[in-house]
Amino acid sequence: MYTPEALVSITSPPPSSSSSSSSGLKESKLETTDCNLNSNIASPSLSPSVTRLWRPAAQRNLRNQFSKLLSYKQQWMSASSSGRSHATSLVNAYLSQRYMPAMDLGVISDMPDIRKRACYKLALQQGLNGRKLLSSYKDMVSVVSHMVNTCSSMRCFNKGPAGSPLVQFSSYSEDKNDSGDGAGIPIFTFWPIPYFENLGQELLQMFALELSLKRFLLVELLSLGCEEVSQQTDGLCWSNELYPGEFVDLTINNLYSKETCQPLPPRLKGLEFDDPSTVAVRSKQQPRQEILQVYLTAWLAEVNIDIYRVDEIFAMVGEEMHVSFS
Amino acid sequence: MMPTFEGVEHRSSNLDSGGELVLLSLRLLLNLLGILTASSRRQPAPGMEMVVKKYQQKFKKVRDEMSRWDKLQSRLLSQFRNASAIIERLKVLQEPKNYGQLICVNGIREAILGKQMESLQTILISMKKTLEEFHGVVISLEKILRDGRQQLKGGSMSPSTNQMQLRIGIRPSLADCLEGLRLIHEMYHSEYQVKASIVSALALKLSASDLGVLHQLLVDQPNIPKEEVQFIFDIILAEEIC
Repeated sequence: MYTPEALVSITSPPPSSSSSSSSGLKESKLETTDCNLNSNIASPSLSPSVTRLWRPAAQRNLRNQFSKLLSYKQQWMSASSSGRSHATSLVNAYLSQRYMPAMDLGVISDMPDIRKRACYKLALQQGLNGRKLLSSYKDMVSVVSHMVNTCSSMRCFNKGPAGSPLVQFSSYSEDKNDSGDGAGIPIFTFWPIPYFENLGQELLQMFALELSLKRFLLVELLSLGCEEVSQQTDGLCWSNELYPGEFVDLTINNLYSKETCQPLPPRLKGLEFDDPSTVAVRSKQQPRQEILQVYLTAWLAEVNIDIYRVDEIFAMVGEEMHVSFS
Repeated sequence: MMPTFEGVEHRSSNLDSGGELVLLSLRLLLNLLGILTASSRRQPAPGMEMVVKKYQQKFKKVRDEMSRWDKLQSRLLSQFRNASAIIERLKVLQEPKNYGQLICVNGIREAILGKQMESLQTILISMKKTLEEFHGVVISLEKILRDGRQQLKGGSMSPSTNQMQLRIGIRPSLADCLEGLRLIHEMYHSEYQVKASIVSALALKLSASDLGVLHQLLVDQPNIPKEEVQFIFDIILAEEIC
């Protein structure tokens, strides 16, 4: 399938419009109209010479996109794990504040305002960890945005005027008739473009769903506050924008609903969200320690990301491409 | 607060070096006195010195195996801590009322529990692998011991009881060497069995109640008294220290 000839032909002169006219019934028909030469390159039956040039470009592009996906995956892992440690510190600072009145301070318990001061310090720590956690979340949002972008750039389109001596390719379509998939021919060994796209989408979906779940936990964790504070302010809710421009990013990631004007509720793969209305209403009661422990475990567990499947996808793609992703 | 990665107090392995030093110099002195009395009374058989040297080589190998053991020990401890963190969490995770707002995400409880069980399984498997490596250390120690015994029995000369007991200068006697090898093998062998039963207890019971005790047992390594091991080495490799 993967003929060395295709590589050799990169250096050969690009096809002129006159040479391609002789290569098929459909093309010669288009030739007569002489208005849409570009489309005959992308038409279902490609001329062999163009295929020879197109395929290496498509291969290069796919290799690049999948190695980008791999590096996004690694970025996600590091953002997620630093987020986990920020979240743990945040919860610890919060719980220490709550337990402060009952804490046995030993000899220093006589110091004036010692509990108040300690609480103030802990609140500062909590705030700091909250900001760090938010920044980890931001990193994860941007990882998913990059993935979205990468997954939509797997095709390889012709660029520039048809028949020009230089055949160029780009990942953006300039012509409606150019589907960019090389008429469904195998790119490396067996798989046509859509096959790669599906695997990319599968990866993307895992990370996007996990992002949504992480956002849910983030909202819960950031709205933790001391009893007195929480009565004054209303805390965060799901429909709040967590940082300026968040909703723009979430729209790119397909995680924002234009109808409800809030982010799509978190869900697991294959399951629907139970009842969207419950997200808006949160009990005023501060969560117990066990609940916080479950939240932290949920952050850690990354239930939407099946890491074995992720590794399998990269291994499969690597094998198909004769590249090793590891 | 969170049981994820708690710091654990490691048992200090530093010996009281001052007291140790005094003990050692005392022993050296005694040995030096011994050289005067011993060498004047009996002559060591030729080649005996070589055998002792070979034994000392064996003890260096033993020391390598012991440091391999220590590395495995710290690996096993961290695996144990991770596993017990999950086991302790499981109970909390099983209660739907502990999910707070998260309960509106359909299927979340099953998903989180499943993931945690999966990680636990992975940790248990890697603990079994670590255990196998511990076993490898025990087998090496056993082989060294066997070779040591072989050397005396199979060799051309079979030393008399006197020769076995003979100490030349600060060199150990053959009996010291053999007994040292035997003791060390015995210690590590029994400790391996303790570890193996702790790991299988962890895999079978999965209850959080005794985790603390099991952990302490793993840390303590009751079958390997550090001072005693050090004492053996001080006798066998006394030359190195002076």
